[in-house]
Amino acid sequence: MNWLRQFGKYILMLGVVFSRPNRWRFYWKQSLIEIEQIGINSLPIVALMSAFMGAVIALQTASSMESPLLPEYTVGYITQSSTILEFSPTIISLILAGKVGSNVASEIGTMRVTEQIDALEIMGVNSLNFLVLPKITAALVFFPVLVVFSMALSMFGGWLALLFSDLTTTEIYILGIRSFFNPFHITYALSKTLIFGFLIVSIASFYGYYVKGGSLDVGKASTQAVVTSSVAILIANFILTQLMLLS
Amino acid sequence: MIEFHQVSKSFNGQKILFDIDHSFEKGKVNLIIGQSGQGKSVLAKCLVGLYEPDTGEVFYDKRNFTGMDRAARSEIRQEIGMLFQGSALFDSMTVEQNVKFPLQMFTKMTKAEIQHRVDYCLERVNLDGSNNLLPSECSGGMQKRVGIARAIAMRPRYLFCDEPNSGLDPKTAIVIDNLINDITKEFDITTVVITHDMNSVMEIGDEILFIHEGKKWWTGNRHSIINADNPEIESFVYASSFMKEIREKLQKKT
Repeated sequence: MNWLRQFGKYILMLGVVFSRPNRWRFYWKQSLIEIEQIGINSLPIVALMSAFMGAVIALQTASSMESPLLPEYTVGYITQSSTILEFSPTIISLILAGKVGSNVASEIGTMRVTEQIDALEIMGVNSLNFLVLPKITAALVFFPVLVVFSMALSMFGGWLALLFSDLTTTEIYILGIRSFFNPFHITYALSKTLIFGFLIVSIASFYGYYVKGGSLDVGKASTQAVVTSSVAILIANFILTQLMLLS
Repeated sequence: MIEFHQVSKSFNGQKILFDIDHSFEKGKVNLIIGQSGQGKSVLAKCLVGLYEPDTGEVFYDKRNFTGMDRAARSEIRQEIGMLFQGSALFDSMTVEQNVKFPLQMFTKMTKAEIQHRVDYCLERVNLDGSNNLLPSECSGGMQKRVGIARAIAMRPRYLFCDEPNSGLDPKTAIVIDNLINDITKEFDITTVVITHDMNSVMEIGDEILFIHEGKKWWTGNRHSIINADNPEIESFVYASSFMKEIREKLQKKT
């Protein structure tokens, strides 16, 4: 029953988070800072992961294509579809759950144990709204940008790998990338990203905000935040796929 | 004036505070003292609303704080300044930004007016020229003074100080004590200090509330506490060898 109590507490927290900010000017300013910290600072890891994963997907597909009945452009098609449908929105979100989730939980957790959150409350500031809403806004604004960036780099990585391995030509790879392209898949991927971004930041904020104790407990909360948000992403991924692709 | 009636608080079924009634007067430094773990900080947190009391009511100048919703409490809280045990400065902000923060958040003052107020507050705590330091670059005593500057920035009517001397050397502790005392008298505010430091008690204790086992045990002032006829008070006041020696010398004189 503890998980149900925690879930109720999480829902109540969201009710306070989504209230009117004390000062809109602070909210916009803080949102821009968070876009830099949560979004822009994640670009290098997203770029690195995407390029190498795209390269690996392309090479593995090319190496498994032994049947002469399969057209050569299948490599490009599989790289495109697996990148858009799953790799960029889900795997990148899982990586961001580790990077951003632990960062958010430890930042807010440290503020809790050093009484900075109490100081905000005493001043009359809605601390949940002040600390969490800009982070959620930043995630909702910038995670889709990161995922589109990841899609592009992943396909670029695949192309580079195939080019250097001499497994196919640029023309055939591009033909594969463009084959059977369904624009709804982009909508599906970005919708998933928005939900995952929200889950990562809100769950991490929840664990950070309600931490009790000292620095050791902040570390534990940070780990719990990453584990819970990763599980939440996997469950949400399954539900969204059922709802958006199969119904 | 801050009044509270029948305030009690439990955590996980364990009662920490037992129906405490008291009032803190304006223009005086009111101390809540007692040994560690007796409920001083819990009482203070109930008074400022960081904890919800299980029973009882808290009044700020006859305004029932306990019965208010979040928005109404926010109004009262803008009249409260608090100095935390660990200073609780925002570590990503400079000294100046820390003091500016409540002014920018809650007032419609112009930039020049805010700057003037910040400079005044920092000067009042003898920190002029430290505007651009980060909290991590300040000593413990400086951090406490920044905490006081931030607490008085909004011209509070009530000032709470939680263990203002913890972690400070005796000389710096006296500086902080005197600062709290001077500010209380100068701005005619209601100050509540939570402490277990006997030096602070003797230095600034205009009114004292002694908490023992979560109950209101004794009230008095810094003069009467020395001769309080109560075993718990006596063991608290004369816990240190220094105080015991003073008592012996006083007894020899008489």
